[in-house]
Amino acid sequence: MIVQTALLIGLVLFSVLAILLRDLLKSAISLAAASLLLGVVFFRMNAPYAGVFEISVVAGLITVLFILTIALTKAGDEVRESRAVNWVFPLFFAAFIIIDALVMKGLLQKIPALASGAETGTFGDVLWKGRTFDLVGQIAVILAGVFAVLALFRKRDKHD
Amino acid sequence: MTNTWYLYLFFAAALVFAGLLGLLLRRSLIKLFIAIEVVAKGISLLLLGTGFAKDNILVAQTLVVTFIVVEVSLVATALALIINIARQAKSLDIRQLSRLKG
Repeated sequence: MIVQTALLIGLVLFSVLAILLRDLLKSAISLAAASLLLGVVFFRMNAPYAGVFEISVVAGLITVLFILTIALTKAGDEVRESRAVNWVFPLFFAAFIIIDALVMKGLLQKIPALASGAETGTFGDVLWKGRTFDLVGQIAVILAGVFAVLALFRKRDKHD
Repeated sequence: MTNTWYLYLFFAAALVFAGLLGLLLRRSLIKLFIAIEVVAKGISLLLLGTGFAKDNILVAQTLVVTFIVVEVSLVATALALIINIARQAKSLDIRQLSRLKG
């Protein structure tokens, strides 16, 4: 429990750093560190598949995509951020954390959630038999993403 | 079990709020997208935390895996859009984009 809390505090800290840091490269790396910690949290919750996906895809692939984008768009460094961020963000965030701590306990009974009950079978059974339609949706989403990227990077004709 | 659920919901809410604040306060397109990623982390933590607290970890895992796949497609498309915008507008400032015509 203590280790899990420490990991979650690290996750929130790195995520806040990713938003607050001025340098884009540093914030992309903080985001990767946050994903890594989230992956470890997933492993400790007995969810190895989600952990593997989180570490390999989110901490790996998405970070590479971010760094590639930062390298391809040099103009990003010259954006002038508002100075208010430095004090508005910590102020509002601290206020929200206090409200969160006070209110969340009361909300727990009111939040609708899945019915409790021990599950049978393995991850494969649930994924392939129980959620087959999700897999079809995933394939559709991946294809849509591929076509979108192809359309965005196609070479323009002379007529355009 | 309620205590662990409280812990996960508390941190998930903190992540979502941090991401929303980032979306409101930042001006660079890449920074805005990093804020969206932070919100997405909060949502995956919420899904898996609830599954863990309610003994439904397998269904929660499949949902998180689906969510991550959708997230990757979203990131690839959005970053391609950002690169195109940066090439055409020569800037990543969202205030510059509001001046575009057409």
